[in-house]
Amino acid sequence: MPETQPKATRTRRFARKHITSFPDTIKGRLALGSVLPALMLLAWWAGIRSGTAVVPTFTEVARVLLDPFEVPSDIYSRSLAFSTFITLMRLALGFGLGLVTALPLGLLAGRYRTVDRLLAPMVQIARPINPIVLLPIATVLFGLASLATVIYGGHESWRYDIMDQVQLAMIIILWWGAFFPIFISTVHGVRSVRQSQVETLELMGASDAQVFRHVILPHTLPHAASGMRIGMGVAWLVLIAAEVYPGTRSGLGYMLCVACKTSDYEYTFAAIIVIGIVAWLTDAAIARLEHSTGHWQAVER
Amino acid sequence: MSGAIVASGLCKAFTSRSGVLVEALGGVSLRAEPGNITCVLGPTGSGKSTLLRIMAGLEEPDSGSVLVGGKSPEVITGDIGYLTQQHTLLPWLRVLENIALPMRLRGADAKERESKAREIASSLGLGDYLDLYPYELSGGMQRRAALGRLLAQEAGYWLLDEPFSNLDERTSHSLQGLLLGLVREHGLSVVFVTHSVDEAAWLGDRIAVLSAAPGVLAESFEPALIRPRRRLSEDYGDIMERIRRSFESILGEE
Repeated sequence: MPETQPKATRTRRFARKHITSFPDTIKGRLALGSVLPALMLLAWWAGIRSGTAVVPTFTEVARVLLDPFEVPSDIYSRSLAFSTFITLMRLALGFGLGLVTALPLGLLAGRYRTVDRLLAPMVQIARPINPIVLLPIATVLFGLASLATVIYGGHESWRYDIMDQVQLAMIIILWWGAFFPIFISTVHGVRSVRQSQVETLELMGASDAQVFRHVILPHTLPHAASGMRIGMGVAWLVLIAAEVYPGTRSGLGYMLCVACKTSDYEYTFAAIIVIGIVAWLTDAAIARLEHSTGHWQAVER
Repeated sequence: MSGAIVASGLCKAFTSRSGVLVEALGGVSLRAEPGNITCVLGPTGSGKSTLLRIMAGLEEPDSGSVLVGGKSPEVITGDIGYLTQQHTLLPWLRVLENIALPMRLRGADAKERESKAREIASSLGLGDYLDLYPYELSGGMQRRAALGRLLAQEAGYWLLDEPFSNLDERTSHSLQGLLLGLVREHGLSVVFVTHSVDEAAWLGDRIAVLSAAPGVLAESFEPALIRPRRRLSEDYGDIMERIRRSFESILGEE
């Protein structure tokens, strides 16, 4: 009787790290990654072909994207570049404020039970509140006060005009959105420090500050970076929604909203594309930070 | 040259999560002389690791005391080197940085600590691995680097809890040889916890066999064999046999 080869089984497929039947090369990844954007473009093209007035042509949108300094004075009097700059400035300030408060507080709450017990109830109550619903009340509280009101106190200059676009109410809700993911990840990071690593350092004669510097901080940073990625995602969502809200006079969200009202849809499309790309870049930057601080983690698991 | 490690009448019990009192150590007395390796051999749950943690000052005994070079371990800073399966290298530091860490903590300047760490690393055969992270090393190389860190710490007392377990035989034998050389060269006082009879017989100037939980000293051996011990010699076979019999009789009691 001829020996029969055992039939190829598909067991243990999930034990492998990645299941892929597509070539795992840069070309392969590019090809796979561009499938959905291509479908998106196809849908857009279908929209153009259908003849609806809502969908601008590729060339109309390309014209806006390729001339970012053009100021459509009749409608918004703000260029695409200026809108992007203002949006990024708000994001940097709101997210930055979230980072510089959440990181130290998270480190403290992770390390000291007293701080944790002080903060935990408030965090649990405040965290589920969507920052967007706080915008009306923040606007009532701060009015149209902006960075310019705080720094210049009323002097007129070009700098004043830029600073005046950065409303305090908006910064507060961005802070609110970015704070919690970073805070919670940082607390979790500190809590998951291995006791054995702390003991090792202490037996070497390390001080508390040295244990913090050489064990707690390097262990926690990748966790904090994961929280930053989530926080940045929340900040983007909150920011664009806030820019659509009445009382704003600039930013990408404002631009796409006003362009919709005036039927200049090429500006709406251009703004959406810029938001997508810039948000992708900010995420990629934090992802790099996450990897450079936490490359050792993948092997630990 | 360091002093002796003297443990007298150590007792320690833990309360388990379900509220049951578990006695780990039931009055262990032990003396580890400088320049010697004292092996502690015992079955799982005999409190070997607890004994070592108390010696390192990481746990307090319920009764009894430990003196390390005449001092209580809690007041000693930096002179106790402690290595277990968990107390290994820091995963975010390269090999060179890991070895240099104790010197960095002491405040040595960057140039000095780097040249010293390089010297230690190359003496341990790690010269080609300085820029790698621990996870890029084999188990054997990781243990070498951990020993290098203990050397950089300049600790006189080494407390080692199964430091060479989970390695292939050849690698663990070569690390045993390496350790022996370091102990002789630096006059270290070493307590070496293991569950391998062969490891204890080859390394130990003194071999203390602990009973099952709660651990008490069951028997103690001081093999008078010439160093380095030859595993194939008759004398070595004899001492192995005696230790093994002692160890098996403990396991039989369980």
